Amino acid sequence: MPIHDQSYRRYTGRREEPGKAWLVIARNGILTILRKRLFIGLLILAWIPFVVGAVTIYINANYPQFTLLAMTAQRFRGFLSQQDFFVFVITVWVGAGLIANDKRANALQLYLSKPLTRLEYVIGKLAILSAFLLMVTWVPAILLLALQVAFSGSFSFLRQNVYLFPAVTVYSCLQVMVSAFTILALSSMSKSGRYVAILFAGAWFFSHAVYGVIYAVTGSTGFSWVSLPGNLNEVGDIIFHVQHRYSTSPAVSLLAIVVVIAVSIWVLNRRVRGVEVVQ
Amino acid sequence: MPAPAPRTVSFAQAARRVFDLSLGQMLWSRRTIFLALVVSAPVVLGLVVRLMTAFGIHGSVRIGGAAVISGPSIFGLFIWLLYLRFTVPVLGVFYGTSLIADEVEDKTITYLFTRPIPRGAVLVGKYLAYLVATVLVVLPSVMLLYFLVVPVGGGAIAPTFPSLVKDLGLLGIGLAAYGSLFAWVGCRFKYPLVTGLVFAFGWEQAIMIIPGYLKRLTIAYYIQGLVPHAMPMDDSALSILQVVSRDSVSAPISLISLAVIWLTFLILAARAAGRREYVLEQ
Repeated sequence: MPIHDQSYRRYTGRREEPGKAWLVIARNGILTILRKRLFIGLLILAWIPFVVGAVTIYINANYPQFTLLAMTAQRFRGFLSQQDFFVFVITVWVGAGLIANDKRANALQLYLSKPLTRLEYVIGKLAILSAFLLMVTWVPAILLLALQVAFSGSFSFLRQNVYLFPAVTVYSCLQVMVSAFTILALSSMSKSGRYVAILFAGAWFFSHAVYGVIYAVTGSTGFSWVSLPGNLNEVGDIIFHVQHRYSTSPAVSLLAIVVVIAVSIWVLNRRVRGVEVVQ
Repeated sequence: MPAPAPRTVSFAQAARRVFDLSLGQMLWSRRTIFLALVVSAPVVLGLVVRLMTAFGIHGSVRIGGAAVISGPSIFGLFIWLLYLRFTVPVLGVFYGTSLIADEVEDKTITYLFTRPIPRGAVLVGKYLAYLVATVLVVLPSVMLLYFLVVPVGGGAIAPTFPSLVKDLGLLGIGLAAYGSLFAWVGCRFKYPLVTGLVFAFGWEQAIMIIPGYLKRLTIAYYIQGLVPHAMPMDDSALSILQVVSRDSVSAPISLISLAVIWLTFLILAARAAGRREYVLEQ
């Protein structure tokens, strides 16, 4: 009968360079979520506005007499606004359990006992959510821009609206960062993904409802900074050079967004720890 | 000597026992923090409004297009925008979907389902606990808000009191209807919370601005038929669309429809809880 050596053996696998461990978390997270058929259905649904946009561009390029369908910067702004709903649903679906589930299963200690820093863990989790959010915001918007060039057969639209590529990129990143950081921070504060999801929905819709009441009472849109989606809308309008919908200074809205992200990072720094001190 | 026959517990008795057990858990849990936040925020906002108007910082509250700054109108605004459009659906989604899901998540459903009581009674008992817990917290916050906001701009409390009673009843009906719908969603669907949020903040919001019969497939439509206050509007296209596409439904029809929705979904939820096999995560 063979006797196997069960004593300590050195790791003989390939060693990744330091700082790449987040890729493992991101890759596994993305693959796990892509196995859910219902989620694939949601992604397909989120691309329907892109299909509609593509058809509009085609008609506009071939039948210029339809001036109503003419492509403008406003249309790209509108497209990203339409995607807000899908951004919310994907954030709740994917993001709510990202850290909460690990905390519930006491997996955080296991993760952080590996050659993986807290920063890499958070970046890995952020990458999972960001990948899906960019898939429904930045990717279709940039593809629409490319289709506009392809269908019209000239770069004149792009030359006239040279700021559109950076505008789409910056706004999409802002949308993704606000949603991803907020839900990750909330996720690190609880062991229940459902509780996190409802807290995020509360923060999102309740802040806007509160703004609605303040607007109705004061008659001024200057308090839009209390609304999370309101701040994104205000900054988005500035980025896309379209008419502002609120009288709030864009600097105030941007500051509110920065504060939300900064507080989220602070919460993540406090809550994502290998050892939890219970008083 | 023959063994004594096991004592059978009726559906109502079983539901009552589960209710007793669940009410304490619901009121004294960490999620009560969420409930407290949701119901205290309007009160804080009411206080701010009271202070603002005291200092003369008030603008154009427009209801039905006309500018008003009276307390009862501002109170109506709070009921529309914060309670009916946010608080009631969100509490329904949160508590309704978690009636059974919480037990599955905590792996304690086995202890409830192995008791000699009908499974449906577990759900009904928990649903009643949800209803009592939310009503006990939401209604006092509305009362507080009422006494804070109504005196603004010379508004009198006594003449508007019947409308407060209607509002309290309306919120109770809303919590009951949304709760039963989402209890069914929680028992029936794989991703109940996402489904609930999409229904409450996607389907219900979007369909209310579309003319036609589709809005009859929402709860908000019937609740709006009972609101004693005028619908607030602003300059946004969404607000205008809502006013244009709004067709009023009479109060008796709204009440009957909400009662049908409540009963149907509660029965369906109890059936789903009784028949579904819950596989606990290992």
